[in-house]
Amino acid sequence: MATIEFRRIQKQFGDVTVIPDMSLKIDDGEFVSLLGPSGCGKSTTLFMLAGIYLPSGGDLLFDGARVNEVEARDRNVGIVFQSYALYPHMTVFKNIAFPLKFKKVPDAEVSRRVHDAAELVRVAELLERRPEQLSGGQQQRVALARALVKDPTLLLLDEPLSNLDASLRLVMRTEIKALQERLKVTTVLVTHDQVEATTMADRIVCMSDGKIEQIGTPDDLYRRPASRFVAAFVGSPPINLLDGYAADGRLIVNDHPLALEGEPATGEVILGIRPEHLQFMATGGLECRIDQIEPMGRETLYVADSPLGNIRVLESGAGARHAPGENLRIGFHPEHVLLFERGRETLITGARASVRQG
Amino acid sequence: MSGTGIDAGRTEAQRHWDELAFRARRSRRAKDASLFTFLIAVSIPVIVPYFWLLTLAFSAGMEGVDTKVLWPSILILVPAVVATWVWATLARSRRHAMTGWGIIWLVTIVLYAVIVGPHLHLYNFRFLYIPEFNTAYREIVAAEDNPEFSLTSFPSVWSAFWNSLFIAGTATLIVVTISSLAGYYISRFQYRFRASSLATMLILHAFPTTVLLIPIFIVMWQIGLLDTLTGVMLVIVGIEMPFAVFIMKGFFDAVPWEIEMSALTDGATRRQAFVRVVLPQVSNGMIAVAVFVFIRGWEEFIFVLTLLSSNVRWTMSLYTFFVTEETNLGVDYGIVSAVGLFYIIPSFLLYTIAQKYLLQMTVGGLKG
Amino acid sequence: MGATAEDAAIRASARSSMKGRERANMAMFLGPAFLVVGFFFVVPVFVDIAISFTDLGRELRITEITTKNYERAFVSDRQLPAVIWRTLWYVGATLLIFNTTFGLLLALATTSISRTSGTFFRAVWLLPRMSPSVVYAILWVWSVHGGDTSLVNQVLMHLAGTEEPIDLRQTSPMWVIIFANGFIGASFAMIILTSAIRSIPGHLYHAARCDGAGSLARVWHITLPQLRWPLTYIFIWQTLSLLTSFEYILLITGGGPFRATTVYAIFIFQRAFGSSGQYAYGAALAFFLIVPGVILALLLWRISNMRRLLQRPRIEVQ
Repeated sequence: MATIEFRRIQKQFGDVTVIPDMSLKIDDGEFVSLLGPSGCGKSTTLFMLAGIYLPSGGDLLFDGARVNEVEARDRNVGIVFQSYALYPHMTVFKNIAFPLKFKKVPDAEVSRRVHDAAELVRVAELLERRPEQLSGGQQQRVALARALVKDPTLLLLDEPLSNLDASLRLVMRTEIKALQERLKVTTVLVTHDQVEATTMADRIVCMSDGKIEQIGTPDDLYRRPASRFVAAFVGSPPINLLDGYAADGRLIVNDHPLALEGEPATGEVILGIRPEHLQFMATGGLECRIDQIEPMGRETLYVADSPLGNIRVLESGAGARHAPGENLRIGFHPEHVLLFERGRETLITGARASVRQG
Repeated sequence: MSGTGIDAGRTEAQRHWDELAFRARRSRRAKDASLFTFLIAVSIPVIVPYFWLLTLAFSAGMEGVDTKVLWPSILILVPAVVATWVWATLARSRRHAMTGWGIIWLVTIVLYAVIVGPHLHLYNFRFLYIPEFNTAYREIVAAEDNPEFSLTSFPSVWSAFWNSLFIAGTATLIVVTISSLAGYYISRFQYRFRASSLATMLILHAFPTTVLLIPIFIVMWQIGLLDTLTGVMLVIVGIEMPFAVFIMKGFFDAVPWEIEMSALTDGATRRQAFVRVVLPQVSNGMIAVAVFVFIRGWEEFIFVLTLLSSNVRWTMSLYTFFVTEETNLGVDYGIVSAVGLFYIIPSFLLYTIAQKYLLQMTVGGLKG
Repeated sequence: MGATAEDAAIRASARSSMKGRERANMAMFLGPAFLVVGFFFVVPVFVDIAISFTDLGRELRITEITTKNYERAFVSDRQLPAVIWRTLWYVGATLLIFNTTFGLLLALATTSISRTSGTFFRAVWLLPRMSPSVVYAILWVWSVHGGDTSLVNQVLMHLAGTEEPIDLRQTSPMWVIIFANGFIGASFAMIILTSAIRSIPGHLYHAARCDGAGSLARVWHITLPQLRWPLTYIFIWQTLSLLTSFEYILLITGGGPFRATTVYAIFIFQRAFGSSGQYAYGAALAFFLIVPGVILALLLWRISNMRRLLQRPRIEVQ
């Protein structure tokens, strides 16, 4: 088990800078997820942890000791790849036993540990098969067993669920989470899927363009996104983001004035409000007209034309209760409103907007 | 007390990791060094003869084989290449690198011009405009009164050039046309002998044709194509056909069916769909096959040697061969180098330009 | 009733026109290729067998039908055993040293360094393959001939301090042709194995590194098992081409000195097209090469995956 620390880590490939400057600390036994769109540098970060890439600058610390240039083979990390990367010419047993081959473990113990690991991920009956004879889910489990068999100090998961179908993904999500809690191994998960990150990880590191946008619990990221990027990336269906201008305690969006409370923000801002925080109501609020309806099972998403522009409204409960063309009023609670400074795109804390009454 | 204990533990761990990092660095360096040493050492014997050919073509005279230019050239160019290489790893930016390279190569060119320059000339390329370039030997040989040395009568090099071009070019056209047709049919149609026709092509593309040299010679003689360019051209068409069909079939396999289906739905017949929709999709394959066959035709030696005899029908390979024979006594390597260079350049150019296409050819259904 | 008869007639005519188009398509698409292949592969094989039972000689006249060529090959040709032995030695040595092992080393080494450097060294090793055989042979002759101006002698005499020039074509002619052919054969394996190595997913190597494998262990446990099929393919293919090709030998040593490099293929060539012009005897000797040629080509076909090569067509109309 280990604590991990990135101290001003940089990574360049030739002339391209992937990670300009990154600092991050991961506690012993913690489950951290690196979340971001493809190309944001999250896999590069993971590969630096594994020792496959070498940092171009800064310090990478394992338990406080600098390990920048230590080879992958000496770091004792277990890794599961998106493609599982099982060795195609070896049986499942040999695949799982492979990491032990280089640790000079006696045969009897190899066999015991392989069986234990296989038991743990429930592939004990598949040990004599070859990877091509396994289903995606089984391959995934074998890859996990291979990563765990050497009692890694650090477990790395690179998009481990994205090649599985939806229902299997759900099962594996729960299993991996339970396994991690049992083994208490420090784990880093790389994913572009916010649901995966929020359901599995203790903490999420949200990244974009090689920079950390926010570090926090899944709840933090949802409630208090530090930037416009995080607000847009986390949450489904996506948040409504509307350009506005703040002055003299008023917020003007699309020529429509809203009241601004709290610490007065001024200048160009972005108003963010999640579809699930908007409600239809009989009186008050803003007038709007329903444009489009998207049934989503137990919820219904409406796209409405309002004085603020086109906005998405999510209403829970199956079955649409309104029809396109219908005129309604919508409102929101000031607490749910997020304001971002335009340009720096960061959250303005303390400012709230509400629908101007009357 | 406890604080110092933890610190001591830390440094212990750090020392352990530092040791591992040091070992990793060392083994990385050792690996790179041994790989480059190996590759450089084995590549020298390949590169030097070609470089020699190049220097001889531009420097050698009639006084025999000449390495006056080879070694100084190597002594100047090798450090320049090494410097370029080292600079590429040291340079901090692209501009920095460019400036450095500029200086390195300016110095090299000046040095080269001063030291080697005076020895360079184009006299060896006189064969390009003087067909009877070997008169000089005639005089030497006559002077030495050597009755055993029979002199070959040389055609113009351009005659050989056009002959080679005709053989390679026509063979290429025919092979590309026929193999596209057959490759398409085997790839896309269901018929009774489909498996066996593919197997035939697969087996024959591995079958060595030089074994059939004698019967092909006899057949060519029977049908009156011995000592004709058409005969040689047809033989090359035959030799390359199975391979070409197989390669084209592979390219057709990769064309999505949907393209053809939508063409059929739009009212085209199968043949129209083939010409208008499918063929344009395999242009890379046709280029690959064309380049491959052209180079084979351009370089062919054994069949040309056995099937052609009159010197007006010499190809570049025979021309080069006889120029070498002529100077077998070591009289003039300059002209042989010049002819060799003239012959080799089209091949190199084609390989270089078309390598992207050639690399797309999958050889023999490799994966088991 | 009438309607059904009409339907049947329409169906029948549609079927027959479909059949007709099928035949026309087959003739148009497949016909030319099989005509060419038949004329240059099948016909010559039979012609070869036929003339091997005659006395066809330099005058290109057949006077008798005879089996004396085969008698000669099996009984009276004293040179043949030595030629066969030499062939096996030449093919075996070239194959094992260069066409497989060294080619594999080149592929492994050039794929382990940076891409540009790797491409550079591979390009160097492609030079022999890209050169016309005549030019390549000239370079070899110039490099190894016995005068003090050959490259080998220049290096030996100036750098190694050898007193007398050596003539490798006299002292070790077999090694000269093994190296000359090997340089070209190695590049064949290098190209095929490079692309085979490239197609191994990078994640396997990353996984192996994390699992504790060093560079050599990665080559041994990951790369080599994946190269089994390409290596088998190269092995068979190159056996075949080494057995039958002789143009470099012809150009570099001419089979000499004193037949020291006269392998089977060049032996046939000399019998048929040399001063003696014994086409019939050459044809009989060539027949013994056709047999292994066919067997190895069949073997090559066996190891290629026919089922994968023949996917079922998804369009049924002709």
